[in-house]
Amino acid sequence: MNKAKVFKLAKGFRGRAKNCIRIARERVEKALQYSYRDRRNKKRDMRSLWIQRINAGTRIHSVNYGNFMHGLMKENIQLNRKVLSEISMHEPHSFKALVDISRNAFPGNKNVVHAPRKVAMPLSV
Amino acid sequence: MANRRCLQALTRQATSLSSSVRHLNTPPLLSAPFPLKPLLDARQVSPSLEPNRCALWPPRARPFCSNRTSDDEDEDEDEDEDEDGEGGEVMEESDCETGKSSSRSKWEYTAEEREAEAAAIGYTLLGPLERSDRVFNPYEPVFAVVQIGSHQFKVSNGDCIFTERLKFCDINDKTQTIVGRPTVPDAAVHAVVEEHALDAKVIIFKKKRRKNYRRTKGHRQELTKLRITDIQGIEKPEKTDNEKPVKSAVKKSEKVAVAA
Repeated sequence: MNKAKVFKLAKGFRGRAKNCIRIARERVEKALQYSYRDRRNKKRDMRSLWIQRINAGTRIHSVNYGNFMHGLMKENIQLNRKVLSEISMHEPHSFKALVDISRNAFPGNKNVVHAPRKVAMPLSV
Repeated sequence: MANRRCLQALTRQATSLSSSVRHLNTPPLLSAPFPLKPLLDARQVSPSLEPNRCALWPPRARPFCSNRTSDDEDEDEDEDEDEDGEGGEVMEESDCETGKSSSRSKWEYTAEEREAEAAAIGYTLLGPLERSDRVFNPYEPVFAVVQIGSHQFKVSNGDCIFTERLKFCDINDKTQTIVGRPTVPDAAVHAVVEEHALDAKVIIFKKKRRKNYRRTKGHRQELTKLRITDIQGIEKPEKTDNEKPVKSAVKKSEKVAVAA
């Protein structure tokens, strides 16, 4: 690509990488390589984020993520993690319904241990 | 990702289900108050699906569409579907119909195959939007989860979603997503195809250092923008009632919101 395109892609870079073509070309190539790699990584990261959110949502109802998903699979509910995380954020009643379905389908959630809650200690010592 | 959508609309040749409309002359349409986008240079061939239409496309005039300004109407994304419906649909169907019948040997889809493919992806084509359809309802606090292709979306009335380009859909067609097992039976989400657009360009760049290997490629994904108009299969809340959330078994979670 010619210099104008390189400079257009180099906007916001630090130092001489946005002004001088020799440095800018290297940095732009590296940036494009990173974006190629990260388009694949973004899918992984988003899925991980959804799982964290679902986990947080189910632990409110004392079910952990693994048991929750196992119960859903048993019931043949094919909602994916993206939609489940959206429901857990925005539609709490529907999410509680889903958690109840999962709990009925797969009992065995007696061992969910909540993190020890921080209790305010009095300042006496 | 939706904020990167480049809304340069692309008029798309597509097979259409009703061929009777193309013989109508478009009535003189009210001039839109919006700036008319220059669509005459955007009439490119949709690259992936119909490769052998290239040869016939450029010199083909549109013998059945009398009003040239009509094709700009349907690309506007507002709720003014009255003008959009007539103009868009007549323009789309008269595009390549005459040429289509003569030289389309390989890519003809019979009506059954079309419907089978569309159903496999997850939607049914209901037909073009008529002028008299009032599909844009006000917002109702009901949501549904819809699967198109391999993507699932949580939609509600009035939402816009971007999906992969739907085959056999024209702009201003109504599509209905039929959910089967393991999903709620007899529930449907109605949507209107708002536009076919290309995504923003991504540059695919590969390089192996010190090996003199460098490749650059650009890519724009073809998308369809759907606007959800109606969700059926659940009782909508009355404005004054106070109802508990309804639990439904599989795949389609629906919520009847507590009326504020």
